[in-house]
Amino acid sequence: MSGYKRDWKGNEKRRDGPKPPPKQNLVQNQYTPMFETIRAELDEHHDRRERIVKISRDITALSKKIIFSLQRVRKIDPTLPKNIQSEIDTRLSEIAKLLAALAPEVQGINRHRYARSLMCLEELAEALTFAHYLRTQTLIGPADLNLVVQDLTRQGAAPSASEDTVMTDDGPTPAPAPAPAPAPDSAPDSAPAPASASSLPAVVDLTQEDYLYGVFDLTGEMMRFATTSTALSGTMGMAAGAGAGAEGNEEPRTIVADMHELGSFFEMLPVGAGNKFQWNKKLDVTRQSVRKVERLGYDRTIRGSERPKGWVPDLSGVGDVEEEE
Amino acid sequence: MAPPMIDPALFDQLRASIEEDTAVRKELEQIVDELNQDVSFTQGILSKIHSTPRSKYPTLLPQIEQGIQKEISSIARLSSFASKYPYYKYNHRYARTLQDAISTLLLTAWLGSPSFSPTPNVPGHLLTLEDVGRVLQAPVNLKSGRDDDVFHVTIEDYLLGLISVVDDLSRLAMNSVTLGDAALAVQISSFIKDLHAGFQILNLKNDILRKRVDSIKYAVKKAEDIVYDLSLRNLIPKKEGEAGGAERTEETA
Repeated sequence: MSGYKRDWKGNEKRRDGPKPPPKQNLVQNQYTPMFETIRAELDEHHDRRERIVKISRDITALSKKIIFSLQRVRKIDPTLPKNIQSEIDTRLSEIAKLLAALAPEVQGINRHRYARSLMCLEELAEALTFAHYLRTQTLIGPADLNLVVQDLTRQGAAPSASEDTVMTDDGPTPAPAPAPAPAPDSAPDSAPAPASASSLPAVVDLTQEDYLYGVFDLTGEMMRFATTSTALSGTMGMAAGAGAGAEGNEEPRTIVADMHELGSFFEMLPVGAGNKFQWNKKLDVTRQSVRKVERLGYDRTIRGSERPKGWVPDLSGVGDVEEEE
Repeated sequence: MAPPMIDPALFDQLRASIEEDTAVRKELEQIVDELNQDVSFTQGILSKIHSTPRSKYPTLLPQIEQGIQKEISSIARLSSFASKYPYYKYNHRYARTLQDAISTLLLTAWLGSPSFSPTPNVPGHLLTLEDVGRVLQAPVNLKSGRDDDVFHVTIEDYLLGLISVVDDLSRLAMNSVTLGDAALAVQISSFIKDLHAGFQILNLKNDILRKRVDSIKYAVKKAEDIVYDLSLRNLIPKKEGEAGGAERTEETA
């Protein structure tokens, strides 16, 4: 009766505080060894997923930064403004290192096992397709994009020294070589893997979903790009290169046309069976982006001539100022 | 002039591969449907254990085994089809069904199935993951690296199947008492407790496995309550595992 201490409310106080529950190894029975094996396996799986998620988050953040940098570009041109290009290169070399760390975790059977933790690849695809578009005004194909990502992985695995080669791929070259295109992802990567097995066998592969959803998001970036460049320069960031006279009878091709093409492209594709819900959501956003760019095109046709020509706040090309028209 | 925005070949290529993906899913769905039928048929016969006294098991178990044989041949079809594609790309389409099939197999073997248990007609043997793989003629627990990316039984499949067994057994514990077989109830209770202790060893993340594992404690409680009821009334047979319910069978009679 009197042996208990009481707290201020009058409740009995436990003498020695709560005992730590002696959980593990308390019960040993014939199934314990089996469950211990299973525990080891599950831990391995969870740890790997954790590592992947961490890397994935970092890659996503870096990809987003690349996209922000790219949004500071004002016109489509084979060579990006120097300061932007160098920002992107820095980010890409960081991504390359992360990809190299990621690669061994997502080989073979694990590629799809952890697919849901690899959303970063979508984001990366978005950044890379956007960069490609700004340089060439074309859509890069999945096979070529996959090669870019594989190259990045290899560069990240190689002991630095190769930063200057990052993303110097074709500037004005037309949407490149359809030759590797028909091959599905598996063929090109399985060949080099054993060949260079000594130092860098593993590369990260994009799946078709990564590519397609990345391109879905690309339409949003194109919309944003068109909007800002129209607002700031009144030109919708047209391709200034290609030698076609700036105010020739017919301008090369507008973003409006590109957006229309992408829009129809996605409308015509059969709905990806994997995740109809997500697909339709993305398609909806794409439709809206197309509408917005249409509107821009209209505005510019109607009122474009009324815009005062003059000061153009082209923040991008601080280093290399080029005049438009 | 600038190249076209989209390479014309790209569209056809993408469409072809999306269509192929859809076709794969359709075919897979058919195979899984068949497996599903086999599984629910087997589950149906298996549910008879709740109304069959243990003395009749030798006639019941072979019937259940027939159902399981069907499952095995459906799984073989599934295996050869699914192995053509990355396993984890499509496995969520059939994982649930596969787990159900595994649980019928585990339960049948535990009950003393002559073909699947090393102790025919004596309940209490749990097949391991490797045993399951042997019966289903599929590899188990494939991991990265050198393992092929083919159809296999994962640890998760095994554990989730096992959890269903626990649930079913806790029901059987009750019904076996009704059928006058107190010994079986006692045996089930200790089996479930052992498994529960085993599951406690695992470090679980917040996923489906965790959720299902959490349900085991209810099965433990259910089985313990039954044992408590039995011991309160002094109904627990002195020697376990033989001719159950030695003391009293008049409860149902």
